[in-house]
Amino acid sequence: MSGVLNVASRALVANQVVLSTAGHNIANVATPGYSRQNVALESAAGQYTGSGYIGKGVNVSTIERSYSDFLTRQANAATAVSSGDNNRITKLNQLQDIFQGGESGLGASVNAMLNAFSDVATAPTDLTARSVALTNADEVTRRLRQSADRLTELQYSVKTEIGDKVTKVNSLAQQMASLNDEISRSMSGGQPPNDLLDTRDRVLREINQYVQVSAVPSNDGTLSLFVAGSQALVLGASAMKLVASNDDFNDPSRSKLSVLKTDGTLATLNTAMLGGGELPSLLKFQNEDMAEAANLLGRLALTTATVMNEQHRLGRDLDNNPGGDLFNVQGFSTPLAASTNTGTGTITIDPNFSPTLLKASEYEVTFTNGSDGVITRLADGATMAFSGTPVTLDFDPANPDVDDGLTIDIGGGPAAGDRFVIKPFSGVADNITTVFSSPRELAVGNPIEPVVTSTNLGSLTASKLSVAPGFVMPTPPVVITFTGPNTYTLSGGVTNMPAGGPNYTYTPGSPITVDGWSLTVKGTPGTVTPPTPEDTIVVQEATATYVSRNAGNADSLMALRDMAAFDGAALSDGYANLMGQTGIRVQSAKFAAEVSSAIATNIEKDRASVSGVNLDEEAAKLMQFQQAYQASAKLLQVAQSMFDQLIRGLSS
Amino acid sequence: MATSFMRLGSANTYDNSLRNLASRQSSLSGLQEQMTAGKRVVRASDDPTSAAQAERAMTRLDRVKTEQRALEVQKNSLAMAESTLGDALSAMQRFRELTVTAGNAAYGSHEREQIVNEMKTLRDQILSYANRTDTNGMPLFGGLGSSSAPFLDGVDGVTFQGLAGQPTSGDNAIPFVLDGESTWMSVPTGNGQFTVDLGAGNASTSTLYTSAGRVDNTTDYAAVQYNSLSITFSVTGTPPVTTYDVMDTTSGAAVVTAQPYKAGQAISIPGYGMSIIANGVPADTDVINITPSPRGAQTSPTPDGTVFGIVDRLISELSTTQAKNQVTQSVTRGLAEIDTAMDRLQRSRGFAGTLLNKADSISDLQGAREVQLEADRSRAEDLDMIQAIADFQNQQTGYDAALKSYAQIQKLSLFNYLG
Repeated sequence: MSGVLNVASRALVANQVVLSTAGHNIANVATPGYSRQNVALESAAGQYTGSGYIGKGVNVSTIERSYSDFLTRQANAATAVSSGDNNRITKLNQLQDIFQGGESGLGASVNAMLNAFSDVATAPTDLTARSVALTNADEVTRRLRQSADRLTELQYSVKTEIGDKVTKVNSLAQQMASLNDEISRSMSGGQPPNDLLDTRDRVLREINQYVQVSAVPSNDGTLSLFVAGSQALVLGASAMKLVASNDDFNDPSRSKLSVLKTDGTLATLNTAMLGGGELPSLLKFQNEDMAEAANLLGRLALTTATVMNEQHRLGRDLDNNPGGDLFNVQGFSTPLAASTNTGTGTITIDPNFSPTLLKASEYEVTFTNGSDGVITRLADGATMAFSGTPVTLDFDPANPDVDDGLTIDIGGGPAAGDRFVIKPFSGVADNITTVFSSPRELAVGNPIEPVVTSTNLGSLTASKLSVAPGFVMPTPPVVITFTGPNTYTLSGGVTNMPAGGPNYTYTPGSPITVDGWSLTVKGTPGTVTPPTPEDTIVVQEATATYVSRNAGNADSLMALRDMAAFDGAALSDGYANLMGQTGIRVQSAKFAAEVSSAIATNIEKDRASVSGVNLDEEAAKLMQFQQAYQASAKLLQVAQSMFDQLIRGLSS
Repeated sequence: MATSFMRLGSANTYDNSLRNLASRQSSLSGLQEQMTAGKRVVRASDDPTSAAQAERAMTRLDRVKTEQRALEVQKNSLAMAESTLGDALSAMQRFRELTVTAGNAAYGSHEREQIVNEMKTLRDQILSYANRTDTNGMPLFGGLGSSSAPFLDGVDGVTFQGLAGQPTSGDNAIPFVLDGESTWMSVPTGNGQFTVDLGAGNASTSTLYTSAGRVDNTTDYAAVQYNSLSITFSVTGTPPVTTYDVMDTTSGAAVVTAQPYKAGQAISIPGYGMSIIANGVPADTDVINITPSPRGAQTSPTPDGTVFGIVDRLISELSTTQAKNQVTQSVTRGLAEIDTAMDRLQRSRGFAGTLLNKADSISDLQGAREVQLEADRSRAEDLDMIQAIADFQNQQTGYDAALKSYAQIQKLSLFNYLG
């Protein structure tokens, strides 16, 4: 009798537990990180009688989480990668917006400036045309500065974001540590604290969103977290702190992460080993994507301004004064020394450089002893060994025509292991301005003029004169003497006699190039009958009258459009390449983000298929165990009526 | 169809469906952005290669536009130079007519004075043509460089103050000035090869005058073209017999001696390949000088062999000379020189015309390039509207279907049947 009662009451309790667990599941259907709970029922051991074991009903053995360790770990890693990629694409889109194409873009202004010299060339005396050219030059600097400013703003916001996220990770690590503590205490009771475990999983997931961690469980139920492979972030109930700071060279445009250990020392994390998560993606964005963009922009500014300045300095302004600089370009910034350096060495970038050979990169110098070492080009990782000073940056010694255009000088006594980072383009675009605003000062006149001797017998005419960097003023005037129908000699103020002299071959229409200037002569020299003097053309310093109506240098400035300047691309195409390069970065990041987000979604689906609550399933369970509960109640009623029956039988 | 059964987490299903809907919506809005902008490549990352291509095409397009604008200016200047040369040629033609009139044997000094006055006006007019400037104040005939008025009217005549030389045309440009030196300042005197003058000390009774002379044998002439000659007449005996000697004054050698003279017959000079026709009655010791014309750029220091030099000489000779034979001599030489000068001006005008033609063909070519580049740019970044609208409709249908099915699936729950 009491057996039936016992069985019934046990069944009631067990079914109630199942129903309330189903209720718990339904209640937590949308709780992030919640794992579906299952009641494990077992039949109570029967009581032995002569006629066999009589069952004693049901027991609730435990309530367990539907949880797959493997899938959860995978989902965490996939979430880390996906949120990192998504974060990077958001940031890259902002970066891309700085480099707009079309009419309002930086490239259009560079071309407008170069094209404006065409109007000056056709009307050298027109001050309006000169003003337009000058205004366009000013507009170029404005757009360069604006782009640089926006890069700096983005830089600043990324830095702030890194700081915020580090704080968040630290607070989560702290939560993790306290949860570990609670769980280890609860576990001692023998039953798993399911909901605490779920909370800890949720915290772990959230940390993974910021930085990928590997979790190592221990016997007491705690979970230790490690970042960048092996650096402990949480050990049992104690949490370390993540610290963000400028990189080893205290370069404000690059960051690194370190862990502040309990003993007060800092362990720097290797950025390459950080894996997924928003923090590593921000570091990558700042240290690689933004650095590349800043270098490309800086190189665009430095190369354009320098070649324009070089050509402009050769010309003469409207008042026949030699041209000055068109753009104010700041000098190279001092290379940064690593904080760990022990020597007294310093590095400077030589102010003489080849603007058209520059690579959009920074360089890291590592000394192996006091004078030798290795230089790494950070953009592509190419290395070169060097010994002594000065050092020409040349990563392709097999090709004698190509180097990186820069030379560095090493001073003081560097120690082995000392490191420096060279940032050739730092601050160039930020500080570029035009030097003058008076259109008269635009040096578009040629500094020299050709004079065809009036006693010439032939039909020689000078047709085109231009000067290029390397120009030396012909003082005294250079005399080109035509010694025959197709030969000429050079005399007078020639500094570097061209090879192949003293008799050069004259070809009508092809330029005679000497000392950086070149003159195209057409026509034929006169028949020479001594003592008649031979035909000559004299090249001399320009007179004021000539300069005021000449725009030879405007033609040369305009011709810079087609100069091979950016890794071989024409000067006027520099911006298109910059845009394209940034675009490719964004595009590949976008693809990566799409892939990783698809992977994360799929793994999450797999995880949810194990741990997620299915409402239909719970509804079915509700019906099933409601019936079981009703049946158990019926059993109780049966037991009671049996009992009543018995009592009534006894009393009657 | 799924072949294996898989549990579905309700919340996850909801999240996934929502994510899918959001992605549909974002691709719809992306398409809409493309359609609004009319561009397939709104950001460089949409298609970096095309974006760079479009940017490059735009760069070239801007350049072509600039070059076209510059070409317009160049064309205007040259057209002005060309028409100025036309004006100058008419003036020269009028000058020629006046010269012919002045040679009329019936005219006296009074009539000639009137003619000379008109000639002086024409001369100033021609000088102003030579110094004409374009709309930017650049001289039309400045050569490689000059002040705003390249031709200076000085005491010794008109000189060219600029740098001689014809600027070249670029691939997509033409020069906007002509060479003043070769246009105006390089007119060989006389018949173009040599000048025939009467000796300054010829007797006043002499009625000798000559033709401008000509070259008969170019081979012979080429060998001695820079030598000067003099022909000296001697009249001896009664009845007077007129003979002449020819002497090479450069080498000092006698060429021929005591040749009989007959008025109106050619005097040909053996071995020199040239001949002149002498007319009238020479006096004893009358001299005819033959001097080579300056040529090429060889005009200085005397600005004789220039358009202005020959005009000035004619004016001065016609206003001072009275003797009929002298007038005839001046007019004969003058006409030959005016023809050469007009030929020079005509040649420059022809050159300007060629350049203007070239400008037109450059213009056409650039126009075609502009169309081509615009097409390139458009191909690289513009949106195919029909395609885009079709895609948009497609996506819309998809989105609509997703929304409807989502709403229906969400309605399905076992709880609906509990009760």
